[in-house]
Amino acid sequence: MSDRIEGVKKLFTSKSARVETNKGDAYYDKLFQTCQARIEELKTQQPINNRLDIGDVLETQGIERRDFLKWASAVTGMLMLPASFTPLVADAALMMNRAPVIWLELQDCAGNSEALLRSDGPKIDEIVLDIISLEFHETLQAASGHQAEKQLEEAIEHFKDKYLLFVEGSVPLGMNGQFGTIGASGETMHDHLVRVAKHSAAVVAVGSCATFGGVPAAAPNPTGAVGVMDVIKGKPLINIPACPANPANMVGVIIHYILTGQVPELDSLLRPKFAFGYRIHDNCERRAHFDAGEYVEEWGDEGAKNNFCLYKMGCKGPMTFNNCSIVRYNEGVNWPIGVGRGCIGCSEPDFWDKYAYERPMADAKIKAPTGGVEKTVDEFGLGLLTAAGIGIGIHAAASAFAGKKEDGGEA
Amino acid sequence: MITKQLLEHIEGEASVYFDIKDDKVDFATITFPHFRGMESILKGKNALDALVITPRVCGICGHAHLMAAVRAIEDAYKNAGFEIKLTQKAQKIREFTLIMEMIQNHFKWLYMVIIPELVKLISIKLEKTPLKGAYAASLSAKAIAVFGGQWPHSSYMIPGGVTSDPTFIEIMQARSQLEELIKFFEKETLGISLDKFLTLESCKDFNGFSSDLTNLEKGLIETGMHTKGFAKDQFIVLGEHGFTNSSKLKGTRTFGINSKYVSDTDAYSPQEITYAKNALYKNEYYEAGPLGRMLSQSVPLIKNMHRRYKDSAYSRVMARVFEIGYLLEYSKILLDNFDIDEDSVVTVTDIKQISATGIGVVEAPRGPLLHKIELKNGMISQYHITTPTQFNIGSSTPQTPTPVQQAMQGLAKKDALFIFRTFDVCSVCTTH
Ligand code: SF4
Ligand code: SF4
Repeated sequence: MSDRIEGVKKLFTSKSARVETNKGDAYYDKLFQTCQARIEELKTQQPINNRLDIGDVLETQGIERRDFLKWASAVTGMLMLPASFTPLVADAALMMNRAPVIWLELQDCAGNSEALLRSDGPKIDEIVLDIISLEFHETLQAASGHQAEKQLEEAIEHFKDKYLLFVEGSVPLGMNGQFGTIGASGETMHDHLVRVAKHSAAVVAVGSCATFGGVPAAAPNPTGAVGVMDVIKGKPLINIPACPANPANMVGVIIHYILTGQVPELDSLLRPKFAFGYRIHDNCERRAHFDAGEYVEEWGDEGAKNNFCLYKMGCKGPMTFNNCSIVRYNEGVNWPIGVGRGCIGCSEPDFWDKYAYERPMADAKIKAPTGGVEKTVDEFGLGLLTAAGIGIGIHAAASAFAGKKEDGGEA
Repeated sequence: MITKQLLEHIEGEASVYFDIKDDKVDFATITFPHFRGMESILKGKNALDALVITPRVCGICGHAHLMAAVRAIEDAYKNAGFEIKLTQKAQKIREFTLIMEMIQNHFKWLYMVIIPELVKLISIKLEKTPLKGAYAASLSAKAIAVFGGQWPHSSYMIPGGVTSDPTFIEIMQARSQLEELIKFFEKETLGISLDKFLTLESCKDFNGFSSDLTNLEKGLIETGMHTKGFAKDQFIVLGEHGFTNSSKLKGTRTFGINSKYVSDTDAYSPQEITYAKNALYKNEYYEAGPLGRMLSQSVPLIKNMHRRYKDSAYSRVMARVFEIGYLLEYSKILLDNFDIDEDSVVTVTDIKQISATGIGVVEAPRGPLLHKIELKNGMISQYHITTPTQFNIGSSTPQTPTPVQQAMQGLAKKDALFIFRTFDVCSVCTTH
């Protein structure tokens, strides 16, 4: 038993479990220069539509430069850049009013817009609503009805090939797209998306619905919902899954774009590695208990009272790539594991059908996160974790799983 | 001639088809053109999956969906002969977080929808300050996160209680967020103390001070909203909580109520496909939400308002703002009476043992939310959701208008559009 626990420990604490972020000095020197040049160029451009200047906002809000830099250094860390980039990140934030953003809501619950409104930082509510040039957002903008449609047309025209298109919600393809129509013309969500995406600089799919179809795409997928990447081809595309997506990651992507003019480094599911390069489990506050083989066995038991690991209650942290264990939610107040329920794996594709609530992982037909997100993940992903069931007392389930594997089933 | 008006500034999208005669709304029908099929997605899944799936019906009141789902499952336990007795602590945590969700909604509606829309209609100075709404809402959301892990889409309730086990530190954290919220409400919205506000007895009392609230009040009077937007003058409150009095009201008179009489019908939408259904109680349309809730509690100010201005748009708006204060006060009491030594969750029978139906009813920000579940060996065989907007914003025929249809009738279109929003529309919930 104890050597098994040791085995797990080794597996999960090995260096290979992390994303290798250090790309060497030469790489960073070059990147630094690129970013510097870009910021200088942005400085020469006019802010769009008289957007507020973040410097002024910080001042009127009584936020000190020191606090702002502290925030910038945290963002730098989050973007996995060396600390020397902090002043550049601060500058990039100051240039936020030069980045036009159009936000579309498709088949959604508005949860990501809600999350965005609650993003953190130095009054980042202000940053997001006033500083970045949110040229179009159905719920947040002042215009409505036909006026709003006109505003969208103008934004597309005016910022042709320059705007970032944020998309919230999945795209229903069933019944010729009639499960979701937009605007006076009754254009389908699919056509609307394709049209607005055409002249964007890059498309950012926000939340699990926009990335992988999310809850509407759960079996039996009544509306034929798909994610944005199934529809939009030939554009730089960034996926920020999770339900809701963490606002820190949305802001991170924007800053990265302003800073570098490029999309951040992505994994094979198009998720930025800075946010999705490691698993919940890698940085979970309950990890020591996992390693020690201390688990909650039943809701409300002694283990639960002592914040033991939630693996046996169905926590999907070991196979879920996301940074909520570090960033947390609602201005860092908390996150699901903090209140004693497991991670449901909401940033992984098809999680409603595969992961969901308390389904023990061994009979959930879970594949290792799809095709080489990170080589290391494939190597020791789920297959190994559950099949070995090391020291975590799910032997029966594990062998059922292993059995399946033998007859060529899921692995 | 029938004209189509698209509506943003609500959650999701809706369109209203106005039939205008002599510059007045003769009749209007409402369309909700989006659909996700949540009920069929729930079918065939484990009952406990409802606890993570249903909060995703709505990004604004997901917590209310979570609570309705857990209550529906607990009711199924009861009907299967395994009654669950929640501890006081679990009940209080659930209620506190539910209240915080209502408050964040009301603040956002006030500052991001109602004030900006009213500003378009009035001459007096009322500043648009949507960020105030965002700020207050994020404070409430933080208070939810203390116990619920995150907001939106928290999933910390389980049959038998809640998974969180707060210590004094968390209680203090929640209390300090609550205090900040109260301070904000006093300073930014009311212009007087919360205690004083809650003792106001008549609309005349608003004359004595100046604030967002009193400017809003003046604006409503200037636009004649106290003489417009009358609906049915009959209300329902279905959710059972410490802060409600579940009842049916005709005017201010209260009657008993039973949620088994709630039914729904297809919405009437001759021009375009709609995915909405109308909700009825004993085959009649009722208004749901804060005005009914505050009347059922016999709040003197709201009763006075109703005596003067009946169920006008004025009363509807002011009741929702008043409810923020009422709920803030109530949540103080909740937090002060926490016994952290109690268990957060009681042990329940394995869900696989449960084959029964259950119904879960809560008061969501906009009114009653009902989840009906049918379980076979712990698996969902049927799931049915009825939401508050389905009561308020149904779309029926001219012979049997719904509350919102009645409230818009006979008015200029611009007034009708404002009145539409006084019901606090939620399209994503309506169509689920
Ligand atoms: S609670 Fe989940 S993420 Fe945390 S250590 Fe346990 S299994 Fe890993
Ligand atoms: S902990 Fe897991 S389920 Fe929760 S938000 Fe993060 S990835 Fe999603």
